[in-house]
Amino acid sequence: MTHIDLDTLVRLREPGREPGQAEAEKHLVECEACRREADRLEQRVARLKALPTLKPSRDAWPAVHARLRAEHRVRARRLATSGLAVAAGLALMLLLHGASSSSKALSPALSEAMARSGQLEQLLESYNSDGRITDGHTDGMAGALEDQIARIDRQLEMAQLLRSRERDNALLNLYRERIGLLDALMDVHVTRASNVGL
Amino acid sequence: MADAIPLPNAEAVLAQARAGDVAALEELYRAFETPVYNLARRICRTSEDAEDVMQETFFEVCRNLRQYRGEGSLWGWIRTVAASKALMRLRRNKYRDTDELEDEAHQGPRSDHGLRMDLEAALERLPETSRAVVWLHDVEGYTHEEIAGMMGRTVSFSKSQLARAHTRLRRWLGEETLV
Repeated sequence: MTHIDLDTLVRLREPGREPGQAEAEKHLVECEACRREADRLEQRVARLKALPTLKPSRDAWPAVHARLRAEHRVRARRLATSGLAVAAGLALMLLLHGASSSSKALSPALSEAMARSGQLEQLLESYNSDGRITDGHTDGMAGALEDQIARIDRQLEMAQLLRSRERDNALLNLYRERIGLLDALMDVHVTRASNVGL
Repeated sequence: MADAIPLPNAEAVLAQARAGDVAALEELYRAFETPVYNLARRICRTSEDAEDVMQETFFEVCRNLRQYRGEGSLWGWIRTVAASKALMRLRRNKYRDTDELEDEAHQGPRSDHGLRMDLEAALERLPETSRAVVWLHDVEGYTHEEIAGMMGRTVSFSKSQLARAHTRLRRWLGEETLV
């Protein structure tokens, strides 16, 4: 057999058997020149491993942190903006409602649901504004809930255009759903906060 | 690169970091920034690219820390994120892996005569893909199957890139040849 080429020597270092490997290994045992070549290959790999560790010239943490904070702020802002839009729409609705039919006030159930929804949003804002970074898992759950809340908010805006009786029923149902989602979102934030002993 | 990066109170730091604690996340960053940068720099062409890869790696690590469930070393998980980001960067930059062109058109086999470099320079001179494969396989200890998976290529591609890298390194290092 002729000498083993480098390609084969490199493959001989791999676990597992390849065609022709037994013959190459037999040759390696018998051929001093090929053994020297195999040794040089091993030494080269050892020298690669021993190359000095390269260090960054800049501290990337401020940039990483800023990016995480920015993402967190976008999420918090998205929820806050969504809540504000609904609140503004409802304020207008109440104004029109009161002007057109003062005898028909909002049902106590709807008033209560709206108040509860507002309270939960305020509470959530206090959790969102603590400047903490959420991990991927929490972020994913919170994001999914916020998306659902945003969907409800769009439906609330549409519901304001309905006639009064249909509107109040629709609003009540949507507000109840919104409260459920806000509660779930609170749970996510409270759980996260309790994990770090806040 | 050692598999175990020293991180005092690793479990506590991880728990805090998973809960979004900024100080714990920074501690993780400090523990792994140098090995991540080193890996990225060995694969990427420029230090700027390596720093970008490092930033992207830690951003992803911080966001997805819960995905690491303690199976295998933390460094192993972070290293795979970093390697994937570095390989993505190579593809994104559309670095052309001009194995043949580089040799024939710019350096030429003859131009290698009498050329003797140190290992650092020889490694730097390798085409990106070859350099990535040789580093991931010989230094970081990835298998060809793992490298092929990260690169979206075949196992034979990874093996042939490794062999070609060693052929070049041997020539550029002025080592004796048999064939």
